[in-house]
Amino acid sequence: MTIVIQTVGAFFAVVGFSGILEAPKKFRFWSGTAGAVCWFSYLMVLSYSSSKIFAAFLSSLAVAGFAHIAARKLKAPMTVFLIPGILPLVPGTSIYYSVYNIIQNNSAMYSYYLMETLQIAGAIALAVFLMDSFFKRMKQGRKKEGA
Amino acid sequence: MDKDEKNLEKVAMLAGEILLTSGAEIFRVEETIQYILSSFGKEAEAMVFSTGIFIHIKGEAIQAKTMVKRVSERTTNLHRIYQVNMVSRQLCNGELDLLQANEQLEHIRKVHQYSNLKKEVSYISVALFFCVLLKGSFLECISAGVVGGILGMVILLSNRLRLNSFCINVLGAFTIGITALIISNYIVPQISSDLLIISAIMPLLPGVTFTTAVRDILNGDYSSGVARMVEAVVTALAVAVGVGTGIALFARIL
Repeated sequence: MTIVIQTVGAFFAVVGFSGILEAPKKFRFWSGTAGAVCWFSYLMVLSYSSSKIFAAFLSSLAVAGFAHIAARKLKAPMTVFLIPGILPLVPGTSIYYSVYNIIQNNSAMYSYYLMETLQIAGAIALAVFLMDSFFKRMKQGRKKEGA
Repeated sequence: MDKDEKNLEKVAMLAGEILLTSGAEIFRVEETIQYILSSFGKEAEAMVFSTGIFIHIKGEAIQAKTMVKRVSERTTNLHRIYQVNMVSRQLCNGELDLLQANEQLEHIRKVHQYSNLKKEVSYISVALFFCVLLKGSFLECISAGVVGGILGMVILLSNRLRLNSFCINVLGAFTIGITALIISNYIVPQISSDLLIISAIMPLLPGVTFTTAVRDILNGDYSSGVARMVEAVVTALAVAVGVGTGIALFARIL
C-alpha cells in the first residue's frame, strides 16, 4: 500500500517539478510517468536488497529505457523525459548535507555524504550511459540493415 | 561572404547557445551545431564548454572563420531543448529556411511557458509531494507545502528584483529555515523541522546539475563535467549557508 501512495506521490512531485524545470506542457503527463516508473522500481529493488546505490542503478536503467522509448514515440530529445524521471533519485539532499556538515565542521559526516553523493550520481550516470550506448547501437544496426 | 552563409552561422550559434543555457548535455550541444552546419554542406568543428561555445568553419584561407560566444546564464529549461531540437530537425529536412529558423530561435529564447501563478503552484506541490516521498505524516506534508509556497513567493520576488542566482539561493534557503522553525516550534509543535526544510529546498538543490556533470564526464567532456560539478557544489553551498543562517538566527532571537 505504501508503495502505491509513494508512486502516486512521485508522479505528482515530478509533475509539480516540471513547472520549475519548464518541461514542455504537452509532455507533463509523460514526465510524471517517468518519475513514477523511477520511484516504483526504486522501491521494488529496495524491498529485495538493502543497497541504495544498486537500487538507484537499476531504477535509472528503467527510466533511461522509458525515456528512450518515449523520445522515439513522441519525437522529442530523451533529456526531456530523462531529467524529470531521475528527479526523485538525484542526490540533491546528499550534496546539501555534505556542504552543511562542512559548515558545521563535522568532517566524518561530511565525507560520508560526499561519498554517497558521488556513488548515487555515478550509479545514475552509468545507467543512463549504458542505455544510451545500447540504443545508439540498435539505431546503427537498423540503419545497416536498411541500407 | 553572402547573406545565407551569415544566417547559417547565426542560426547554428544561436541554437547552441540556447541549448547550453537550458542545461543540455555538452555532447548534445556539439552534435546539434555540427548537424546544422553539415546539413548545409559546411565542414565545421564545434567545441563547447559549460561557459562558452567555439565554432570553427573550415574553408579556403580567406573564408575560414571562427566564432566565439561567452555564455554566463545557466538554468534548466526542458521546453527550450525540445523546441531547438524541433527547429534543427525541420531546418535540415528543408521544412524551414534559415530566416524562419532564426526567427523561431529568437522567439524560443524569449518565451516563458508557465505563468507566475503556475510556478507558485509548482513550488507548493514539489514541497508537499517530496514530503510524501520522504515518508512524512499528513500534517508534515501540508506544512511542507506551506513552506514551499513561501519559498516560491520569495524566488519570484527576487527574480523580479534581478538578483543573481547565488543570492536567490541564499535568500530562499534562509526563508525556508526560518519559516520551517517557526511552524515546527509555534504552530504545529509535533512535527520535525528537518523534514520540512529538506522537502522545501528540493527546488533549489543541484541534484540534476551534479548528475549531468557525471554524465558529461562519462561522455569524455572532462573540463565541462568538472566545471558543472563545481557549479553544483557552489549552489549547495549557497543553500547550506542560507539554511544555516536561518537556523542560527532563530536560535538567537526567537
